Amino acid sequence: MKLLGFIIVCLTGTFLLYGTSDLPDWGDPNSPASLHLSNHYIEKAVAETEVPNLVTAVLADYRGFDTMFETAVVFTAGLACFLLLRDFKPKEDRYYRHVPTGVVLHFKDKARQLRVGTEFEAVDKDWVPSDMVIKTVCRILIPFIQIYALYVVAHGDFSPGGGFQGGVIFGSSFILLAISYNLKTLMKRVSEKFLGIFSAVGVLIYVGIGAIAMVMGGNFLDYSTLAPLLPVNPGHIRALGMLGVEIGVGIAVMAVMAIIYINIVSQGRHDEGL
Amino acid sequence: MDILVIICLVLGFLFFLGGAVGILRMPDFYSSLHPAGKLDTLGILAMVMGLALYNLHHFSLEAVLVSIKMFLIVFFVFLSSPTATHSIVDAGMRAGLRPWTQKKGKE
Repeated sequence: MKLLGFIIVCLTGTFLLYGTSDLPDWGDPNSPASLHLSNHYIEKAVAETEVPNLVTAVLADYRGFDTMFETAVVFTAGLACFLLLRDFKPKEDRYYRHVPTGVVLHFKDKARQLRVGTEFEAVDKDWVPSDMVIKTVCRILIPFIQIYALYVVAHGDFSPGGGFQGGVIFGSSFILLAISYNLKTLMKRVSEKFLGIFSAVGVLIYVGIGAIAMVMGGNFLDYSTLAPLLPVNPGHIRALGMLGVEIGVGIAVMAVMAIIYINIVSQGRHDEGL
Repeated sequence: MDILVIICLVLGFLFFLGGAVGILRMPDFYSSLHPAGKLDTLGILAMVMGLALYNLHHFSLEAVLVSIKMFLIVFFVFLSSPTATHSIVDAGMRAGLRPWTQKKGKE
């Protein structure tokens, strides 16, 4: 069986390598990809959109539809993770830790409850005392990470960056909070409802900007028709439209990152985990 | 100025070299994390200091700004790299990995 698998892998690899011989060379100026559209983008993008960053212009303006559905795919990923993993049944066993003495109580009876407060805290089964060094450094770093994420989103049309990257950085700051403290600390700050609503709001912002452009009498996602709505230089309106779209993408990606992480580490129960 | 840049870069190179040799040569998990955490952080300080000085050749406000941003990178690496090493060591201790000790009666 192993031999058969090995032969199949080798054959597939050979065919794939054989297929690559038909591909154009890397950066070949005569390849079909760089003959038609690329030249147009490179020569006209700044004149047509007034966005200094060519990549953002292609991503959010020329290929606005594509990016919109990418955002929808991200949202769907979060939704699928929620639907597959979320488990609303409360846990059978519960653990409480008496804070002054450090004794951990194990409750097997579902009906019995302990009031959580300053004396007792609810803990996980594999609870470990959290480390002060890690907690302190993460507490210092997380605000900087979040500000940097906002910078990456806001600077998307001038320098490398944009909604996807900024959203991922913002989401990772949530994950860092959950790792350095615990999942309950994160869930106290960003609730499940908040994340669910924001993952949809991100897509809604993107589609909404496109729809407003339609209401204003242009094509879907034609940012130039938004000019009468905003008191800015009409030439700069496309960059502003892209910024709005990127903010939507960033919000959706941020919320979906957190949803996926929380659902996976807590096996859908949202109470304990890493 | 150029000499200062070269000194900084060579110093950083030495630190990185020492770190790489240390990771390969140290006998166990904890002691090989030691050069990884310390020397890489110092190496990045020396290297980025050299590059920031080099960047100041054409002295202008923008060049100063870029140099300050470089030092921000160093600042955050100084915060995060030792913390990461610390947490890895912590995880190793919790997982029950014993530190390496010289065997008795081997000499």
